[in-house]
Amino acid sequence: MPVAASAIYFLNLRGDVLINRTYRDDVGGNMVDAFRTHIMQTKELGNCPVRQIGGCSFVYMRISNVYIVIVVSSNANVACGFKFVVEAVALFKSYFGGAFDEDAIRNNFVLIYELLDEIMDFGYPQNLSPEILKLYITQEGVRSPFSSKPKDKPVPNATLQVTGAVGWRREGLSYKKNEVFLDIVESVNLLMSSKGNVLRCDVTGKVLMKCFLSGMPDLKLGLNDKIGLEKESEMKSRPAKSGKTIELDDVTFHQCVNLTRFNSEKTVSFVPPDGEFELMKYRITEGVNLPFRVLPTIKELGRTRMEVNVKVKSVFGAKMFALGVVVKIPVPKQTAKTNFQVTTGRAKYNPSIDCLVWKIRKFPGQTESTLSAEIELISTMGEKKSWTRPPIQMEFQVPMFTASGLRVRFLKVWEKSGYNTVEWVRYITKAGSYEIRC
Amino acid sequence: MSGMRGLSVFISDIRNCQNKEAEILRVDKELGNIRTCFKNDKVLTPYKKKKYVWKILYIHMLGYDVDFGHTEAVSLISAPKYPEKQVGYIVTSCLLNENHEFLRLAINAVRNDIIGRNETFQCLALTLVGNIGGREFAESLAPDVQKLLISSSCRPLVRKKAALCLLRLFRKNPDVVTADGWADHMAQLLDERDLGVLTSSMSLLVSLVSNDHEGYSSCLPKCVKTLERLARNQDVPQEYTYYGIPSPWLQVKTMRALQYFPTIEDPSTRRSLFEVLQRILMGTDVVKNVNKNNASHAVLFEALSLVMHLNAEKEMMSQCVALLGKFISVREPNIRYLGLENMTRMLMITDAQDIIKKHQPQIITSLKDPDISIRRRALDLLYGMCDASNAKDIVEELLQYLSTAEFAMREELSLKAAILAEKFAPDLSWYVDVILQLIDKAGDFVSDDIWFRVVQFVTNNEDLQPYAASKVREYMENIVIHETMVKVSAYILGEYGHLLARLPGCSPRELFGILHEKLPTVSTPTISLLLSTYAKLLMHTQPPDMELQKQIWTVFKKYESSIDVEIQQRAVEYFELSKKGAALMDVLAEMPKFPERQSSLIKKVEEVEDTADQSAIKLRVQQLPSNALVLADPKPVNGTPPPLKFPSMSGIKVNGTPQSLAIEALPGEISSQQRGLTEEEGVPGEVDGTAIVPVDEQANTVEPIGNIAERFHALCLKDSGVLYEDPYIQIGVKAEWQGHHGRLTLFLGNKNTSPLTSVQAIILPPAHLKLELSLVPDTIPPRAQVQCPLEVMNFRPSRDVAVLDFSYKFGTSLVSAKLRLPAVLNKFLQPLQLTSEEFFPQWRSLSGPPLKLQEVVRGVRPLALPEMENLFNSFRVTICPGLDPNPNNLVASTTFYSENTRAMLCLARIETDPADKTQLRLTVSSGDPTLTFELKEFIKEQLIAIPLGSRALVPAVPVPATPLAQPPSPVVDANDPGALLAGLL
Repeated sequence: MPVAASAIYFLNLRGDVLINRTYRDDVGGNMVDAFRTHIMQTKELGNCPVRQIGGCSFVYMRISNVYIVIVVSSNANVACGFKFVVEAVALFKSYFGGAFDEDAIRNNFVLIYELLDEIMDFGYPQNLSPEILKLYITQEGVRSPFSSKPKDKPVPNATLQVTGAVGWRREGLSYKKNEVFLDIVESVNLLMSSKGNVLRCDVTGKVLMKCFLSGMPDLKLGLNDKIGLEKESEMKSRPAKSGKTIELDDVTFHQCVNLTRFNSEKTVSFVPPDGEFELMKYRITEGVNLPFRVLPTIKELGRTRMEVNVKVKSVFGAKMFALGVVVKIPVPKQTAKTNFQVTTGRAKYNPSIDCLVWKIRKFPGQTESTLSAEIELISTMGEKKSWTRPPIQMEFQVPMFTASGLRVRFLKVWEKSGYNTVEWVRYITKAGSYEIRC
Repeated sequence: MSGMRGLSVFISDIRNCQNKEAEILRVDKELGNIRTCFKNDKVLTPYKKKKYVWKILYIHMLGYDVDFGHTEAVSLISAPKYPEKQVGYIVTSCLLNENHEFLRLAINAVRNDIIGRNETFQCLALTLVGNIGGREFAESLAPDVQKLLISSSCRPLVRKKAALCLLRLFRKNPDVVTADGWADHMAQLLDERDLGVLTSSMSLLVSLVSNDHEGYSSCLPKCVKTLERLARNQDVPQEYTYYGIPSPWLQVKTMRALQYFPTIEDPSTRRSLFEVLQRILMGTDVVKNVNKNNASHAVLFEALSLVMHLNAEKEMMSQCVALLGKFISVREPNIRYLGLENMTRMLMITDAQDIIKKHQPQIITSLKDPDISIRRRALDLLYGMCDASNAKDIVEELLQYLSTAEFAMREELSLKAAILAEKFAPDLSWYVDVILQLIDKAGDFVSDDIWFRVVQFVTNNEDLQPYAASKVREYMENIVIHETMVKVSAYILGEYGHLLARLPGCSPRELFGILHEKLPTVSTPTISLLLSTYAKLLMHTQPPDMELQKQIWTVFKKYESSIDVEIQQRAVEYFELSKKGAALMDVLAEMPKFPERQSSLIKKVEEVEDTADQSAIKLRVQQLPSNALVLADPKPVNGTPPPLKFPSMSGIKVNGTPQSLAIEALPGEISSQQRGLTEEEGVPGEVDGTAIVPVDEQANTVEPIGNIAERFHALCLKDSGVLYEDPYIQIGVKAEWQGHHGRLTLFLGNKNTSPLTSVQAIILPPAHLKLELSLVPDTIPPRAQVQCPLEVMNFRPSRDVAVLDFSYKFGTSLVSAKLRLPAVLNKFLQPLQLTSEEFFPQWRSLSGPPLKLQEVVRGVRPLALPEMENLFNSFRVTICPGLDPNPNNLVASTTFYSENTRAMLCLARIETDPADKTQLRLTVSSGDPTLTFELKEFIKEQLIAIPLGSRALVPAVPVPATPLAQPPSPVVDANDPGALLAGLL
């Protein structure tokens, strides 16, 4: 088992320590000063997540306006460290109810200390599952044993819970209405050359579930992925259904999925934890349906003028629509004046990021819209550096659309009592880093 | 600025930013805003323009790149109102530098302000020019600035700024102020009554005269007058006195300016200047107030350097030194430091040295000062003031100090002590003592160079070897000794331990015992040294001591499997070698002498020098501008000049027999010895006709002692001796030859009690030689000897001779001499003994001219055959006896080295006629036609005894080999050398 951290620090953007916890005494208390002077105040802050200074490794990431820094002096497992930070943040979020930022930390000092004590022991990560931790680290007041009110819930047995066969689910749950929510969330990463060639394109997807089911249900999920379908047709000895099958790469499951059954029958069957969890993650590199096409033309007219024309086409189904579309078109630093004409949405020049920002709230499928802008530049004193032309960036969300084409074929629930369940399925595609060179 | 709300809001926004990121965002936003405003088609109001330009300046000051807005800033310069003009000037001087092309646009606006009537605008413009003005500004604005400076209508404020502005322009472009155009104005300016203007003008003057003092001599009396005015405290306004001292800044500057003039000719000026200086020197005292002290001492130290510069009378000098002496005993450390530093500076003046020596005890006490910088200065001063007379005391003092000095200084200290000991050693055993003490006391800080040097010295001086060996033997008695000491001891005992064999406790076995005791404590490099020592000890033990051999072999056996490759190899090799018995003697023979070279220590100390601007090392280098080693002879002189010391030359082996060198003998003896040699050879006293220049052409009044030509001829056959001598100087030569390289060392010995000056030595090399003479010092101190190494390289065979054009001044008389250098053909020969099997195939393969030349030589000096053999051997042509069946004939062989020919075999045969000893037949052959010819001519020269003047006229007609001889008869029996030769010839 690798050591993940000797100490963990939470810093704000100024470099003040908000909260910290030392797990091992092999790093000095002043190491955070080294981080402040050697990392935070240099320009490398953004592009190098692991640094070594004075025999200590600093593993850090920024989450909203907080830096989480792991300091370790031995040969630690860095991936384990990052995973720990990500999981810890998810845990904090589930405790604070949403946001994780400087204020949330300031408001929950005691709770965070309590959690930090629990989730890591002498540098080794421990159980980070919110469901289980919430059993014994509670935010409620302690009830006096002399109070007259009888207990309405049995005291949960934490030890049994952690060591039991189904560690992630408590027994004796019961809901009036048994519901399952299934979300498939995909984000599309794209890098396209100025001539329209796809240089890099992939989709990372997650299957998120929210279960409100009584007892110990057994669930089985069927997707239109290639392996599952082939296996199925083989077992039922009939030819595979025609239609699109998806090849999933790098599939990772939640610990509740029965891997032996997956290996033998290629079906995803599991006893779900209660509440919200991430059932599986996958990646797709072939056959991606791009939701948008971008056609930029940028002309530099002399030293002080530029003309920008950007045409955006939506190529998903006409009934669907995209939400929150933002197109960021970079312009040179010395931009002084801009004039826009847009067919839809609104555009403005943002000098602090040197971009034209074009926002379209709702973008129906199979349509196109254009932006044309005239830009005036101010003449500068410095030697004329040619503009580097960074890529155009795009943000969007398309509900009920999957860039991979993945569909849920079935979701079956079995329980001893045999109650009826309601299943809800949603799809959404977001932009990851969606970039088009111009 | 108070009215600009936008600016103050922006600044408070920036200050309220929580973190850097927010600040960057705010700045970028503001810059975008300013860009939009500047680009707007509407004309900006002056107020807005001013506000944005201030913002740009603020952003620039925060460290962000601002690459626009310069146009606006420059345009504000020509605005009519002060607030706008001010921001224009300030921002322009902050954002732009002198090389910026944009500045050109501003020149005109600036010029308008300078020639305008408004004083504040003039000041703003002058400040800008002074801050960023470059070459272009200098060219276009200097006349206007000069006009302002000399105009009488301007207020002093403007003129002050004009003077400083002109100073800056002058620094950027010295052409703007020329002496003939400006000197008069400058002198006029020095008459100024206003002290502010005068101070600025003086700064200008200092810069001008530091560049070139020519032409400004008219300013000199004015400077003195200014000094007088200040020193006598005449009409100096209250605001220009600082703690009662009238404008110390001006005083210092004036004295600095005076130091740039070479001398002061006018006696009355000089007198009044000295009066002032005297007053300054006398009137300064140490007081309680720090500021007053600083001011008065600044003036005083400047006055001291002026006194030094003016080379004042001895009385004044000694007064200065006395004052400095007082300072170095004062409690205040700053003053003590300055005192020591200035004394080091004083050392440059030769006659001050003696006065400084009086303060030696005080300086030595400063070595114990609590302040390290003072200790360093004191060390520097001691090092600088050391000469032959006080070397012993100072080095001993340094050694004593070494044990208490802090670690940071010890290395430098030991290095310096080692150098002084080497330079001024009264005798070499003292040097060895000092270095051994040094290693004993501060072994950690003694660099390898130091002990290498002592080993070199001991190796090169035979008489020192037993002493050094016994000395290190004493040190080895101690139980705990430093590793460096083990290294020195191991080396010296290995080489020279056998010299001690008769002393008690110094038998090889005992030496091995004490050395081996140290072995477990030392590091690997030292172990390998020790192994070599054991091998040497074993070699020196004759007859072999079986027990010692057994012990040593055990050690070798043990280290044969050492993990260190070097040790392993040594152990294996020494073990195998030591089995060889007597052959060991050849393999492990005594180390040869090291070539003389510059002490690496001096180079090293130059590298480690600290930052003191006038360091004693540099002084020393200035004093001895050559890498020649000076060995002073400190012994008192009684009447006749004593023999000069050649420490490294005793025991040079000539012809295999150790000989005490002629150089060590008295001059008289040398000449007699030489005479003997020349008589023997029968070389006439005239100058050799083949010399390229008439070498004896001397218009000197000084007669050389001995015959120069004789000395030269003697040196052609020997490697060391006297080249030239006259009543003042003796030039000795020592040479080492190896292949086509040679190394001549000239020993220039001053025989007098006063120095020889303007010493010059120029080498006139012939085409076939490359000669590199190291720097010859300008002065040879009294009774000192200077060594000048000379590197020689031979390109091709030739009999031309290199000439040394040497001159020096003694008192007023100039003596010069042209001397031939003994770098002649035979020096590049290497003796070679051939057997008949080797000789004949070679002789046969080189047939006919131009490779083989034959000549009948007549008029030869009659010599008996053994004498002739000796003669040939002396110029390194080896006679191979018994090869020729005819007893009257000689056969000889040698190897010639040059860059072109590399090693080239040469063969010669001389057939004498027992009836007529004045003629013989000479046959020479080699693989190179030129070499054959040159060698034949050379041998002929050596054999012939015709008057040299006429010899040049005798054409050397090479007689071709007899037709009979070629082609060689193939039927000759190869085993009969006689028959073979007869057939060949």
